[in-house]
Amino acid sequence: MAVSNAAHPTAVEGGHGVTWARARHAVRSLLRNLGRTIAIFVPVFFVATFATFLLRSLSGLNPARVQLGEDATPLEINRIEASYGLDRGFFAQYWSWFTGVLHGSLGKSWSNGYPITTLIRDGLTISLTVATLALILGTVGGFALGGLAAVRRTTWIDRGITSFLSVTSVIPAFVIGIILVEVVAVELKLLPSAGFVPFSQGFWPWLSHVLLPALALSLGCMSSVARQLRAGLIGAYRENYVIGAVVRGLSPRRIFFRHVLRNGIGPAVAVLGLELPALIGGSVIVETIFALAGFGQFAFTSAQSGDVPAVQGVLVISIVLVVTFNLLVNLVLGRISPAARRGV
Amino acid sequence: MIRRVLSLPTGRIAAGILSVIVLLAIFGSALAPENPLTTTSAQLAHISGSHWLGTDYLGRDTLSRLLAGSRASIVGPLQVAVIALFVGAIPGILSVYLGRAFEWATLRLIDTLISLPFLLVAVAVTALLGNGMTVALLVVGVLLAPGFYRVSRAAALSVARSQYVEAAQISGASLSWIVRRHVWSKVLPPISISLANAVGAGFVVVSSLSFLGIGVQPPAATWGGMLSSDLNYLSYQPWAPVAPAVLIVLSVWACNLLADAIRDVSGDAGRAYVSARTRQPALSQGGT
Repeated sequence: MAVSNAAHPTAVEGGHGVTWARARHAVRSLLRNLGRTIAIFVPVFFVATFATFLLRSLSGLNPARVQLGEDATPLEINRIEASYGLDRGFFAQYWSWFTGVLHGSLGKSWSNGYPITTLIRDGLTISLTVATLALILGTVGGFALGGLAAVRRTTWIDRGITSFLSVTSVIPAFVIGIILVEVVAVELKLLPSAGFVPFSQGFWPWLSHVLLPALALSLGCMSSVARQLRAGLIGAYRENYVIGAVVRGLSPRRIFFRHVLRNGIGPAVAVLGLELPALIGGSVIVETIFALAGFGQFAFTSAQSGDVPAVQGVLVISIVLVVTFNLLVNLVLGRISPAARRGV
Repeated sequence: MIRRVLSLPTGRIAAGILSVIVLLAIFGSALAPENPLTTTSAQLAHISGSHWLGTDYLGRDTLSRLLAGSRASIVGPLQVAVIALFVGAIPGILSVYLGRAFEWATLRLIDTLISLPFLLVAVAVTALLGNGMTVALLVVGVLLAPGFYRVSRAAALSVARSQYVEAAQISGASLSWIVRRHVWSKVLPPISISLANAVGAGFVVVSSLSFLGIGVQPPAATWGGMLSSDLNYLSYQPWAPVAPAVLIVLSVWACNLLADAIRDVSGDAGRAYVSARTRQPALSQGGT
């Protein structure tokens, strides 16, 4: 596999030909990366949608039960099942649902007949706000702590950060959420403990409502990013080219940014790709604690009420989100370290 | 291996905490001073001689509920880890031997499982299929399976391609001797590391599910369920969530500590362990 030299200047400096070749190379590797991710994504999408569709048969639920309760007459059941297209064969149903998904339609809710996309949209805004904020907090915090621990390795700062991380990495998000509600909202009365205010009502009301849930979600992300970054950077500090740079008398700052960070950052970025599923998954429980009517709450309540298409929609959307995010992470990873482009 | 794990301080701490927790699971309900389900008029009582940890919003003794709930809170994660071991390890080993089609299919399934938001799927699927404990354990077990799949597949690959196994076969060693001498020592450390990690993850997921009222149904006590009822009365009993939260966190911590201790004593075999959560072997090899 071709190894890109984009990071290191070649013998021929500058010149149009070289720039052009580099740009072409970058585009080609971008496309290759995209192609490989899609090759993984398509089977994943098929398997996942098929499995979620199987849920309907497994659960034995039907919309007539959900809407009419236990004492529905067979005639009414038939009418409602026909209106949802459930009187057809399994594969015919799957196919029409699947083509609907490709066209951006997730079907109608069994509870109230509304399109699921509109039902999900509002909750998704809330959850994505919280998840994005958590991701930012986790990434910034993780990079700061991991970087500091690696630069000050084997000192008390490193030991302090490492033991702090070993504590934060084992506390489940909902325990952190309860602690935050307890300390910040109930005892100190600094921030509200529940609810959501849209951004249009002002920056601070909005931020104050999403800050605690985001903080509760971010600690897990922060600890894994910080641990991976610390390990990666310390590994990079041991390399011969870093010793060489020290011997040549380069400043510690230049060594850190040019040699160590660039080569040691990979695992920390890679682990970010696995954090989004954790954040979306954690939303279901954090939203319960902070009384947010988000995506996770929607999934939970519709599953409790037996609304199968809504749950299917939730699963499809979260898979699309996770795969898109992974694609982004892979692109960033490919830019940072050419080694990552060699097959997953 | 057990002796070497116990020779490490971290291993001893982990073993100590875990044995206390296992004792709680076995004798917890017998130790409970009162019936955990009896409601009294002393609601939300403070810590006192008769109620060491106070009472909850229905006047039930908190200490008794904590002890009685320990079995359900501990057995769940263990069952989950064992289910995950079987669901993951068997296809993982077979993927090396059953040909490319099976390998491709299982790898895609594992990709799918990894890209699912874990807790959301566990909650949604369990709730759809009727909130039962058995369903919850099966779903969580399947979701935790990728770790075991990867680990056992890696171990099977390294054994299948090794020359020493071939050499032992040529020199006439019996299959059971080869398995005992060469395969077992390669497979055991990564599997036990994953098992310890999976029990830890199981604690988080099972307590999260019982926090939401899924799995064990409300009147019965669980640590997660106690946290969710404490949440509503924080302004009366701000200290109430401490005991169940500490128990959950300690259990997870002890499992992770045990996993680290096993990794530390098992040398190369432990280093070959690939966590299901870090998917970039090409990059992480340069690290520690």
